[in-house]
Amino acid sequence: MTSTSTDPYFIDFPKRIQSIQSQMQRENIDVYLGSRLRTLSWTTDAFFPWRSFIVVPPEGLPTAFTFVIDAARAADDSWLDEDHVYGFAPMGGQDQIEQISEFIKEILKNGKGRIGIESGMSNYLPEGWLTHYEYGQFAAALNGCELVNAHTIIDRLALIKDTGTINRFKEASRIVDVGHEAVLAAIQNGGWKGMTETEIAGIAALAMRRAGSEWEWSFTGGNEIASGYRTGYAGGACTPASRKEIKAGEPLMVDIHATFKLGLGDHSHNYLIGPATDRQRWHADNFVSIVKKTLETYRAGITPSTLAEQMMAFAEAGGFADYMVPGYEHGIGMLGDEWRIGLNDGPFPFWTNPDHLYQENEVLICAMQYACPDENIGFRYENPIVLYKDRCEEMSKFPLGIEEIG
Amino acid sequence: MTEKVKYLSPEWRDEAERRLNSELPPERMNFVTSSMSNIYQNCPPDGAEKFLFFKFEEGRFAQLLLGTGESPKPEFAVSGDYQTFASITRGELGAQKALMTLKLKLKGNMVKALRLASLADRLNKVLATIPTEY
Repeated sequence: MTSTSTDPYFIDFPKRIQSIQSQMQRENIDVYLGSRLRTLSWTTDAFFPWRSFIVVPPEGLPTAFTFVIDAARAADDSWLDEDHVYGFAPMGGQDQIEQISEFIKEILKNGKGRIGIESGMSNYLPEGWLTHYEYGQFAAALNGCELVNAHTIIDRLALIKDTGTINRFKEASRIVDVGHEAVLAAIQNGGWKGMTETEIAGIAALAMRRAGSEWEWSFTGGNEIASGYRTGYAGGACTPASRKEIKAGEPLMVDIHATFKLGLGDHSHNYLIGPATDRQRWHADNFVSIVKKTLETYRAGITPSTLAEQMMAFAEAGGFADYMVPGYEHGIGMLGDEWRIGLNDGPFPFWTNPDHLYQENEVLICAMQYACPDENIGFRYENPIVLYKDRCEEMSKFPLGIEEIG
Repeated sequence: MTEKVKYLSPEWRDEAERRLNSELPPERMNFVTSSMSNIYQNCPPDGAEKFLFFKFEEGRFAQLLLGTGESPKPEFAVSGDYQTFASITRGELGAQKALMTLKLKLKGNMVKALRLASLADRLNKVLATIPTEY
């Protein structure tokens, strides 16, 4: 699958590869062996759900390697042709270690050189770091080569989003808004009666797929729906939909996800299923006020920690700091890049650096959680935002609010 | 032909070429253009390595080379012990099972190889009809 430079979703993938190769040369790396899902997405423009690798040579096209049952499909989706997407299988010479090692040896002079690998950790499961076993096997098969950790090459290059990537995120966000409209239409005027969280997740999924979404990408359970006490887990920000029935007098959290050409939509909207009490309304108004304040504050030049300090001060002044989970973001990029902000340069390895200085055209998820477990109430806001010099732009346009649904 | 020929001898190669051309016309080979080399390791009597290089052009057998040393570069190379290939040619062992039990190794793009697997089977079946002395 290819697109042209006039396509609003066009990404110059050959240029991305050349930028990796330039960085490899600077770091004296002969071959880059990527294994993370985010690296596969960023380099191939295809979804690789099976264990996969990409080998970037010093010059020329990269070659992706995946489970043979999916290689032809991946090649069809990618800008790479079938000669650059290999399938591996448990057959002589065709298992992933031997196939990739032999491929790399053919690239290297005398079979020796420095191989860049991706080693690290994440608290988001579908990351794809090279495992200890794989490292040992590759090190043995590439005897005479030095394996060096080089994931920062990709992380740095993928940090600032190009126009095509931003437009993909905007389209995914438009699709998410279609999902929210479908959920609202389904639950209002008593439509919620008898519905379960899983049913609401499905209503959103159907509407988003009809609008062009490829899937509800998040490994946190696809569309995360929570109602009642499940909205208010202490510190909670992950609610895969359950079979719980929606009930009168309870909050409802609708956190839905869409995918468009590996761009990710992620927007959470909240409701109060009527009749709402004054106390519930107070909580809701608190949350809407801090979301507005946060969106007004995000821009290039601030850091996660300074933003968090300002927002917690705002919450303290409003008398609801006890209910705010003190984090206001999570990272986002093409499929698989769904957790950490910025580079791995903070005090805790592989966690967001609280002093990361946001730059123009960084995209992140403005993510906020309000939780009051004692009162069985909580709210979540998530929305992809792109940062500009003096403001941010929310990509999902579904109107901010917490409506009471009759 | 009823007289046996020695496996991987020039006579065996000539007979293989004759049978492949007569029994596998281009349409039976799906008009494929590709190349493949069988690498025979530990060949008797001296343990030498031999190759049998097949080149197909639009389904026709353009080249069938038998030799020792390095094979012309094929799109796919299948390597293994002489005895393994002999077992396959005698019909005692399937090529797929040999690959899955590490008796054979395939080098090349497996996605493409999968499309050619049935053709390789047809080819092996023809070779198996040659009265052969191992």
